[in-house]
Amino acid sequence: MEASYNPIFCWRGYVYATWNARSGRLGLSHNPGLDRTFWQQHGYHHFTLLTPPLPLGTAAFLWEWLQRYLHIEGEPRWREVTARINRARLKLGLPPWSIPVNYLPAPLPAPAQAELALVQKSLAGRILWREEIELAMAGNKRGVTAPLENLLHWLFLEGEVSIMPGVGYDPNGEPRCRRCGQSSRLLKVACNTCGSGDCLICENCLAMGQARRCRPLYASSWSSQWPGIKPGREVRPRLQFTLTRAQADAYREAEEFVFQGAGKECLLWAACGAGKTEVACGTITAALSLGKTVLYACPRREIIRELEKRLAAIWPELRILALYGGSPGKFGEADIILATTHQALRFYRRFDLVILDEVDAYPLSEDPMLYYAVTRARREGGQVLFLTATPPPGLVTRVKRRQVKVIYLPARPHGHPLPVPEIIREPVLSRPGTGPLPRRLAGCLDLTLAGNSRMIIFVPAVKLVEEVVAWLLKERPGPAPERPWIQGCYAAHPRRDEIIAAFRRGEFPVLVATTVMERGITIPRLNVLVLYADEEMVFTTNTLVQMAGRAGRSPDHPAGQVWFLARRVSPAMVAACHQIQEFNNLARRRGYLSV
Amino acid sequence: MLFSWLFPKPRSCAWCGRPSPGGDFCTACRDQLQAWRQRYHPCHYCGRLLLLAKEVICRHCREELPPFRKARAVGPYHGIMKEMIWAFKYQGRRSLAAPLGRLLAGVVVRELGPVRPDLVLPVPLTGARLRARAFNQAGLLALSLGRELDLPVDGDVMARIRETAPQVNLTRRSRWRNLAGAFRVTAPAKITGRNLLLVDDVLTTGATAAACTIALMAAGAASVAVVTLATGIENLS
Repeated sequence: MEASYNPIFCWRGYVYATWNARSGRLGLSHNPGLDRTFWQQHGYHHFTLLTPPLPLGTAAFLWEWLQRYLHIEGEPRWREVTARINRARLKLGLPPWSIPVNYLPAPLPAPAQAELALVQKSLAGRILWREEIELAMAGNKRGVTAPLENLLHWLFLEGEVSIMPGVGYDPNGEPRCRRCGQSSRLLKVACNTCGSGDCLICENCLAMGQARRCRPLYASSWSSQWPGIKPGREVRPRLQFTLTRAQADAYREAEEFVFQGAGKECLLWAACGAGKTEVACGTITAALSLGKTVLYACPRREIIRELEKRLAAIWPELRILALYGGSPGKFGEADIILATTHQALRFYRRFDLVILDEVDAYPLSEDPMLYYAVTRARREGGQVLFLTATPPPGLVTRVKRRQVKVIYLPARPHGHPLPVPEIIREPVLSRPGTGPLPRRLAGCLDLTLAGNSRMIIFVPAVKLVEEVVAWLLKERPGPAPERPWIQGCYAAHPRRDEIIAAFRRGEFPVLVATTVMERGITIPRLNVLVLYADEEMVFTTNTLVQMAGRAGRSPDHPAGQVWFLARRVSPAMVAACHQIQEFNNLARRRGYLSV
Repeated sequence: MLFSWLFPKPRSCAWCGRPSPGGDFCTACRDQLQAWRQRYHPCHYCGRLLLLAKEVICRHCREELPPFRKARAVGPYHGIMKEMIWAFKYQGRRSLAAPLGRLLAGVVVRELGPVRPDLVLPVPLTGARLRARAFNQAGLLALSLGRELDLPVDGDVMARIRETAPQVNLTRRSRWRNLAGAFRVTAPAKITGRNLLLVDDVLTTGATAAACTIALMAAGAASVAVVTLATGIENLS
């Protein structure tokens, strides 16, 4: 629930002009006394406010607008200033006010340099709310006596920190969330913090705290002056396994990608179960040895938690920080940072190398906000390595145009080819329960059970899970009705984890599931059947490749079987088979296959 | 522009985003919101949920009747409704205010009897909590409900003077006594002789609603009914 009733810091301030005989500046401030002091130190002795107190989003828009059109040399030409402000005011629908504003703030003392340095260090490479900076400072045992917002503002004046509204305006006056970069799902609401009746909030990134027009985001890019790994330090990974030839080749190419630094983006296109994470260690090693900062981002929390343990074993001497919803110590310092893509929203131009795993997985595949977060976390000139078995179409196009380098990892460690799906056409494939069991479906079941294997039957809809289970149990009740031989599972199933665990333990041989089981599942002796595989709304090429990738992963049963059962042959089914076959051909050409 | 006018996007569920041509929520979410009706029915007075085919009145109301005329809720504080309230109240997902307010309006029409309320009042927050959260969730719900039923809404009639905490080990009467004075009516003239509808997000022990009702009745209100998004289930609480 709510941590406390501490009010969220609401930025309300002014746009001002300051000038001397030869030049002038425009600025924005919640506490213009600080700005007067700062600019007096820099030889600007005239100061006037141009606006009444405004919410940050509005003030920032006006400030940027005026900076674009006004060039102050000496005292501003007030008629021109008034005209420009009025244009911007009308764009946002603000009431008129008299310019210049008849109020001159008294100069305030400058903050202590030591305190400024502490704040800057806490914010380096991040984009945070004031309240989060407070937490970061408390977590790293850094205390300051001056108001934090004043210290941050002084750093803003020095050009070390950017201040932006949670929800701001584009140059053409269109609102946009500055935290998640989206312009949809922005609501105009009454805000009791800033007192405005038309404050803007963003509902895209609510899970990371409310982004509002009146709430400031403070950002500071990472500087190489901050402590990290010294270039040239020995950071050899202690791999707990031997790389296969296919993995070693890809590992070497991944190292070269970082060492050469020529390309900005690279795709590691690996077969399902080929060990792409191990290969990614090559890029991490190369980046660390050059003293670069690394982020490993993935849309799934479970993968980050598992990876934290694996990487801690590979690099026991390095500090590894895993960030996910509910993880402790969100603002700690580390040599390698692992984060869910949501958590990457808190980084700002920090990383030289971003590794983006499961680039096509939900929610990353459907959420432009998460791509935005990962892109912003990268430093200017930083590199990105995409890891996936099924790259999204846009990325494939860029690979084909040679805009993105590609490294193929087409073979699994056991050296057997990937199981190529067998397409089975049943022109009269009926809905579950409306007819007898299709002969070919019964054949696949018999083959699986006779071979003492297990099978996942993928179906395209949640309601089909229970229907197919009931259908199969009706047609084949099994020896012990109290212990059914087939069970069903989907994402929101109340006993989901329990059923998956029982299936893994081999307590029943057949599981009916939705696409929730398409990733992250490795079960020995597994066959896969995709029922109604022609449902193209659900079963895309990538989904089918991932599902087929569940079979044949274990060395003791490398030749698992995959069937696509459908009324017709969809283009996605053909493309999936083709893609898998292509990988097998490539692996064979390169001599990675042992059979 | 023309494209979106010719081919408008189908309406999507306010909670899960799936298509919901029939209303604010998709069929799956609506089913989940209404699933409790197969097992529970509301207590005649306080609206807490009781198992079907058991008593008509809960044990709290048998002990002592609440000061409000009647309370009703959209469903139990459990499952999807609990998640929605959490997202609305604590995450600040304000786009839920309108659809949830419409659900409340449905409850008012169906279950609070023929007495048409003269004024809708949200349960107020203290100033500190209001500044921290930036909005009063009950206020947004009341506005949406008022719009739907064309009823006047006034959030300034009553003020919360101090916080109230759950007091689980106390009897109902002791709880009400403890909460006495937590609310103050600031504009009694607006409520004298009128039938009021009090809106809140959750009714757990009923203490907050009772404290508001006592303050309102003392200031001259004719009657107070309560409508909330969620309420407790008797055998679970």
